[in-house]
Amino acid sequence: CSEYQKVLKEAEPGEKYAMAEKLYTEALEEDSNSKFRKAIRLFEQIVPQYRGKPQGEKVTFLFADSYYHVGDNYLAGYQFERFVQAYPNSDRVEEAQFKSAKSYYYLSPRYDLDQTETVKAVAELQKYIDAYPNGEYLEEANNLAADLRVKLEKKAFEIAKQYHKIGDFGVRGENYKAAIVAFTNFINEYPGSPFREAAFYYRFDAAYQYAINSYEYLMKERLNTAREYYNNYKRFYSEGDEHFDAIQASFNDLESRLQNL
Amino acid sequence: QDLPLGQGKKYTIGSITVTGAESYNEQTIIAYSGLSKGEEIFIPGDRLSKVLKKLWDSNLFSDINFYITNVEGDVAHLELEITEVPELAEVRIQGISKKRQTEELIKENNLTPGVKVTENLTTTTKNYIENKYKKDGYLNAKVVVSTSPAVDTTGANKVNMVVNVDRGDKVKISNIEFNGNEQLSNARLRRALKNTKQKNFFRFWKRSKFIASDYEEDKTNLINKYKEKGFRDARILSDTLIRKDNDNIAIRINLEEGNRYYIGDIEFIGNTVYTDEQLGRALGISKGDIYNGVLLKERIADPSDPDAADLANLYKNNGYLFSQINPVETRVYNDTIDFEIRIMEGKEAYFNNISVVGNDKTKDHVIYRELRTKPGQKYSQQNVIRTLREVGQLGFFDAEQISPDFQNVDPNSGTLDMQYSVVEAGASQIELQGGYGGGGFIGTLGLSFNNFSLSGIFDKEAYKPLPMGDGQTLSLRAQASIFYQTYSLNFVEPWFGGQRPVSLSTSFSYTRQFFFDQRRRRADKSRSFDILGVNVGLAKRLRWPDDYFTLSQAVGFQRYDLNNYNTGLFTFGDGFSNNLTYTLGITRNSEGINPIFPTTGSNFSLTAKFTPPYSLWNGVDYANLDQQREFQLEDADGNLLNADGLRLRPGDEPVGDRGKIDQEKFKWLEFYKIKFKGSWFNTLYNFGGNSNLVLRTHAEFGFLGAYNNDRGIPPFERFFLGGDGLGAFSLDGREVIALRGYPNQQVVPMDRSTISQASNNDGATLYNKYSLELRFPITLKPMASIYALTFLEAGATYDNFRDYNPFLLNRSAGAGIRIFMPQFGLLGIDFGYGFDPIPGSNAGPNGWETHFIIGQQF
Repeated sequence: CSEYQKVLKEAEPGEKYAMAEKLYTEALEEDSNSKFRKAIRLFEQIVPQYRGKPQGEKVTFLFADSYYHVGDNYLAGYQFERFVQAYPNSDRVEEAQFKSAKSYYYLSPRYDLDQTETVKAVAELQKYIDAYPNGEYLEEANNLAADLRVKLEKKAFEIAKQYHKIGDFGVRGENYKAAIVAFTNFINEYPGSPFREAAFYYRFDAAYQYAINSYEYLMKERLNTAREYYNNYKRFYSEGDEHFDAIQASFNDLESRLQNL
Repeated sequence: QDLPLGQGKKYTIGSITVTGAESYNEQTIIAYSGLSKGEEIFIPGDRLSKVLKKLWDSNLFSDINFYITNVEGDVAHLELEITEVPELAEVRIQGISKKRQTEELIKENNLTPGVKVTENLTTTTKNYIENKYKKDGYLNAKVVVSTSPAVDTTGANKVNMVVNVDRGDKVKISNIEFNGNEQLSNARLRRALKNTKQKNFFRFWKRSKFIASDYEEDKTNLINKYKEKGFRDARILSDTLIRKDNDNIAIRINLEEGNRYYIGDIEFIGNTVYTDEQLGRALGISKGDIYNGVLLKERIADPSDPDAADLANLYKNNGYLFSQINPVETRVYNDTIDFEIRIMEGKEAYFNNISVVGNDKTKDHVIYRELRTKPGQKYSQQNVIRTLREVGQLGFFDAEQISPDFQNVDPNSGTLDMQYSVVEAGASQIELQGGYGGGGFIGTLGLSFNNFSLSGIFDKEAYKPLPMGDGQTLSLRAQASIFYQTYSLNFVEPWFGGQRPVSLSTSFSYTRQFFFDQRRRRADKSRSFDILGVNVGLAKRLRWPDDYFTLSQAVGFQRYDLNNYNTGLFTFGDGFSNNLTYTLGITRNSEGINPIFPTTGSNFSLTAKFTPPYSLWNGVDYANLDQQREFQLEDADGNLLNADGLRLRPGDEPVGDRGKIDQEKFKWLEFYKIKFKGSWFNTLYNFGGNSNLVLRTHAEFGFLGAYNNDRGIPPFERFFLGGDGLGAFSLDGREVIALRGYPNQQVVPMDRSTISQASNNDGATLYNKYSLELRFPITLKPMASIYALTFLEAGATYDNFRDYNPFLLNRSAGAGIRIFMPQFGLLGIDFGYGFDPIPGSNAGPNGWETHFIIGQQF
């Protein structure tokens, strides 16, 4: 350890390079976070010095990869991204591009927080998928990207659903109307989403609630709109789907109300 | 060799050599250029130009040339000749004596050794310093920057820099002269020049500096002043700066006023949504008025105030985002101008997608439920502004940085998306205190998390460092000294159930106090007093009668446990007391706009607190407890005692044991309490902007009663009037009511004034209080709001309604100041003079009292 301290403080870049590389290789074998961290401290010092020199490529890659292994995703993503920009002709650029994307994937927060990182991760993954259609990590990249897309869909879906949930609150009917618009946008924007069936159902239900809670002179028109949304649901889904029974029950009530108007 | 570009020929690079490099490695420069051996390029061609541009852009070289040194077939050998920009070795600043200023200048211009001394650096340094001095009134400041090669032992390319600063004398404006003004006086015109002032002995605030950019602005202000008065054609013919001597200049402005104009006919064209009459009323300018160009513009659209009641907002608040309004002068005759106000209403705009970005901690549902703009809603600027305000008031975000971004604004489909960007702000506070008091060390640890997430407490991932983002409040507090400990926990969920803003609050507290032995200065652990309290409340915003109303309900329970401990509250030292209450409250709060300095609105609250009326059904005859065997005084062997504490002898009456009787009476406390408070805020006078002189009128009233007079009103929950109103460390649920000009909690009931001993202060069961307060803001900046106040107050307490006399009051008057800073909350100091004696003392007026205020009390 004392040797490490000495190299860290005094040695010239060549020695630091050698030790950092050794630490990196050992860390990889032993899966040791502490060795990666030690290597990172050395790399931090020498990366700027080797920039532009032949060894720069390797140093930059190992530096980024060390961050990647210790799980410092923010810096790993950034350093790999820089590597890809600086050495587009490198042999390891494919790996770097993928690891950069994967680091951003790990940074993506839960669905109900700001999704800037998610959008960035999807873009980086897509960059990889486009650049390496036969790439080594293609399958994983596709899975990760799909994962994130579902997350974005869940976000949009849950926001729309909240308008439905707070429907009774605030200016009369305003939130149900918001739910209808938000679900319509959702259905148009995410055609293959796993939440699509629920979105169709909730859009109907928002319209139905909007109608039955409105003044009588508006009710007929609004019930007819709800009926249209029911038909939209029926076009794609049938018995056995999750919300089929619920929508059927509401629709029967809707029909009887329409007849009594 | 110069070749025309079109004749570029393809070569393979054989070798690249770099000449002229001093501080950089040759390899580094080649690698940076991106050229590599064996690459095929056109010479001359696009590739080399790009490389040149890249090298130039690095700002590291003052000269760059490519040469072909040798051509072998289609292999070209290149030479890259560069001249490096010198590095800064040392900088010296002359002409400034203060070291700190020198250092500041070096820092601000980034003149650290090693920076590249480019042409740009020297020019910006010169301009920066000159402008800096000019801004401070040194109009003649001159700066010369020169460089000379530095002798360096390593032979590196370095230069020394000398910055010569001659700031000259401070220049003041001795005189501002106007020529050609007949309609407006010189003094009036000078006032119009807002930041350019002539020298005056009485001018403390704004010095008479000459700053060119301010002067230019002021010339526009001057013309605007004329425009306001109807002089549409007024203009400045010429203006001169005259140098009087080294530190004085004069300004002479030659004006042409032109004629004064009046408004003629105003015609609205293109309006379908509003009638001419409606628009005319909104415009507020009519035929015959003096032509005020500035006002006219403001009435149509005032970009400085997004809330203004102008024509543009009339349209925008009702969905016409795409509307355009242009006033056009159609006819000028004599001194009258006719107008046409041309309106293109455009399509009504609707919100489509509403989104929020930047919420790294706060979850979507907490924000979206507060947004006033909804998908499918008609566009309204008012709702956007209200959203900004209300999201800001949540306290989770930096209120200054919340901004609405209009996206995908599409006049054809009439839709727009709105994206609110927010920046998370720390919403947690930690309080850690230690101090010496009450006979020993007192330590306090308080934690309050204002954006807590209860659902996250079992989720390992959510600890960053604590589960956050559901908008809930959790606060924990512990205080301990050698003889008492108190713990409390509060939790508030503002949207219980998630469907509407029904706030659920729960709190739990526990206090344990040991008897403090004054003589030995230590706690006696065998004698203790425990209080356990639990509270659950629900508060619901109402829609009827209007949405300022809130209905709240709460259930509370307290248990007092005494273990050989006489508190003075109870006549018994061993025993317990329970207090189960239900509180129903209705409040209406329309205080606006600034919560720290309300200028309008009012705040009323009416609450009623009850315990169950146990005596209705428990069958205990409270009037005659002392007649019952089990509540009579007895000795350790169970023999009854007489009033002298001796064994009962024939003929003696047994007496009641006060301790036992009180234990029976206070086993479950029984009372009801009604309180009313009302405050009104009126702006008496507006001095412009938000300098409002505000009158706050306040009245309050409280009554504590018993269902069963034999059982009586318990010694708990009573009212203590007087002083700063800060809740002291209290065990008995007392209500502390402020009355400035009197000592804390000392204004005892009026009827006790006949008793000479005022210390018999066990609280009152009835009180009223009135106050008038005039407030004037000194500053209302977000960093710190300060206002001054003067007050008249009066209040009194009573033991029962028989004594109640709303005119027999303890009166006071005084003045004070309040400072609000977000980190510290509200702090203040008041000086009050009490005109009346404290009841029970005959000492005449109470006189001056000083009150320190922490938190919102008055």
